[in-house]
Amino acid sequence: MPAPRRGKLAYKLLFWFLLLSMGPMLFVGWHLVRGSQRALRRATLEMQESLAVGFADTASKYVATFRNALAETSSVADFASMNPVRQRQYLDRLLQIHPAVLELSVLDARGVETLRAGRFLGPKPEMRDFGRDDLFEVALGPKGRYVGRLERFQGLYPTVAVSVPILDQSAQPSRPVGVLMARVSLNPLSTMLATEFPLSGPSSAAVVARADGFLIAHSDPKEIYRPDARLPDEVLKALSAQSADHGGGDLPVLSDGRRLLAAYAQTRDLGWLVYIQQPVEVAYQASEEMTSQIVKVLIGVVLLVTALSWVVAGRITQPVRLLKEAADRLGQGRFEDVPELVATNDEIGDLAHTFLDMSESLKEKTGELVSAKQELEKFTKFLEKRVDARTRELKAAQDELIKKERLAAIGQMASVVGHEIRNPLAVINNSIYFIKTKLAAGGEPDSKLSKHVKIIESEIQQANGIINEILTYSRTRELKPERVRVNAWLEELLALYPFPPHVQLEKRLDPADPAVDVDVTEMQQAVRNLLGNAVEVMPPPEGGRLVVRVAVPEPGWARIDVADSGAGIPPEALDKIFSPFFTTKARGTGLGLAVVRKAMDRHKGRVDVESRPGAGTTFRLWLPRAA
Amino acid sequence: MTPLPKLLVIDDDAHLRESLAEVLELGGFECHQAGNAKDGLAAAQKLSPDAVIMDIQLPDSSGFQICQELRRRSKTMILIMMTGRFLSSEEKTQGFELGADEYITKPFDLAELSTRIRQLLSRNAAR
Repeated sequence: MPAPRRGKLAYKLLFWFLLLSMGPMLFVGWHLVRGSQRALRRATLEMQESLAVGFADTASKYVATFRNALAETSSVADFASMNPVRQRQYLDRLLQIHPAVLELSVLDARGVETLRAGRFLGPKPEMRDFGRDDLFEVALGPKGRYVGRLERFQGLYPTVAVSVPILDQSAQPSRPVGVLMARVSLNPLSTMLATEFPLSGPSSAAVVARADGFLIAHSDPKEIYRPDARLPDEVLKALSAQSADHGGGDLPVLSDGRRLLAAYAQTRDLGWLVYIQQPVEVAYQASEEMTSQIVKVLIGVVLLVTALSWVVAGRITQPVRLLKEAADRLGQGRFEDVPELVATNDEIGDLAHTFLDMSESLKEKTGELVSAKQELEKFTKFLEKRVDARTRELKAAQDELIKKERLAAIGQMASVVGHEIRNPLAVINNSIYFIKTKLAAGGEPDSKLSKHVKIIESEIQQANGIINEILTYSRTRELKPERVRVNAWLEELLALYPFPPHVQLEKRLDPADPAVDVDVTEMQQAVRNLLGNAVEVMPPPEGGRLVVRVAVPEPGWARIDVADSGAGIPPEALDKIFSPFFTTKARGTGLGLAVVRKAMDRHKGRVDVESRPGAGTTFRLWLPRAA
Repeated sequence: MTPLPKLLVIDDDAHLRESLAEVLELGGFECHQAGNAKDGLAAAQKLSPDAVIMDIQLPDSSGFQICQELRRRSKTMILIMMTGRFLSSEEKTQGFELGADEYITKPFDLAELSTRIRQLLSRNAAR
């Protein structure tokens, strides 16, 4: 019977190990990733915000630099009272010191240009009137300065106008007598953005813009020169909703649905915005890297734990597997094959110990069973043999009994018949004797009468002969064995036997001349019967050849063969010829060969026959040799 | 003239005893018959035969018993036993010990029987 498919213990252990160790680890790992991701993102956002705030500061400082430079020049003690040539010298020096300053103008108290110096001006530039301009009025106001009027210089890059009042130092208190104005390039801001904010990726940008979207600076300086350079409206819209002066967060602003991490800050006094955006995946790259790192570590740990669990499960289950294997072998009766069990110092060790005890006991018991079985088989065989032998003996005894009973019955019958027939036969004999005597007394008797008397006498003799034969066969006289030498005994018998002349006798005696113990009378009768039969089957005129042979065919046995050259016995009759009253002759009792067999039986010998129809018959009498 | 030797034939078979007696009478004997043991013993007592021929099997007794009784009465009486079957040598010996002189087997050779009786008688006479 095949064992039902079962899960292996090692797999089960492995599963539970993994569940117990991996579960908490994955839980903790997930939270760790989540937490650190959040922290990192917050940090990233804060960093971006602080960048924005820092740059807002930078932008303010940038503008402040020029304002201060202008204020320094305008507040030179006698600037207001200087003639234009000297004023011009100051202006030229400013232009030299600050490359970003594109143009400088001196406005009088009415706001009309009195002096104009610049890098791209012709020798006689047009004098403009700023009398109604913020540029002039604000600078003269209580604030004392003006920054604004953003415009693209010659349509190219953004510039800003900065103006400060020119004060008459001689008056007490001093009073403004004009304005010093400068147009400053904002390109350096873009350069600064590009260096301070080296952004990567197409959607990354750091931008300085006015609240209405006018682009002041861009981390990608090329953007500035684009004619339609503006802060995108959606960004503007998002920023206008912010109330704080700085902040940031995720903005779903990209057309392709990607999210941006954005931060903004307002400059302190200029009303400008610094805006920084980065795609989320770039901004959070560190967090993603950390996540992937943690996942890698986790996978590594999982693999390691799996491997360790595998080894541990294997170690735990190995003794169990060995036990199972041992139990399997034990079950198959292979006691010699039982594998070595590891004696571990635990319950499995105990189990192994118990198992070994059990297997020993089982082996012993099986051995006992096997030997008992063998014993039983031996005994059964012995009994069978005994039964067979006994059955054979019984059968032989039964056969013998049947034969004896039959013989006894025949004997009894023969005795009765013999006795009862002999009486009338005796009477007939007496009477015919009487008649014969009377006839003889009465002179010459009738010859026919004498012949018939003789016939009767002859028939009486024949009847008496038959009765004698039957009585001889049925009689059980005691054997009187004497030791004879077969050669001499047989020669004497043959010499006395009246062989007819047409039968040619051939004697073949054996030089060993065996000795046998026989009842001479009975054995002579047996041989005579065979000789008589042989002579009978070789009738004149052809006659035949009769061979009488003595042989010592095998140790312990002597044999007398009587072979004729007669017609032979038909095969179907062969097994009946030794039965009493069986005969093939026209006249005969059928007792001749029965007498032979009875004699041989009584002498512990046997008789057998070999006959070939047309070639002759050989009877062989086997007699045990005398010791 | 000398009296004929006296014989007594005891047999239950009337034909046998008659035929035997008459054959023996032809041979020059005076024959008497008896059909059983009792009659036979009585006849022997009365007649004192020279020889008794008896069957060893009679309806009322064994021939050997008559033989024994007759021998007890006379040492010289010739006792011949008739038999229809083979007798073992033990039986024969026993019979001789009880006093039987001779055994004859049916059917008899009558000439031989006559001669034998005469021979035995003459031997007795010579004694």
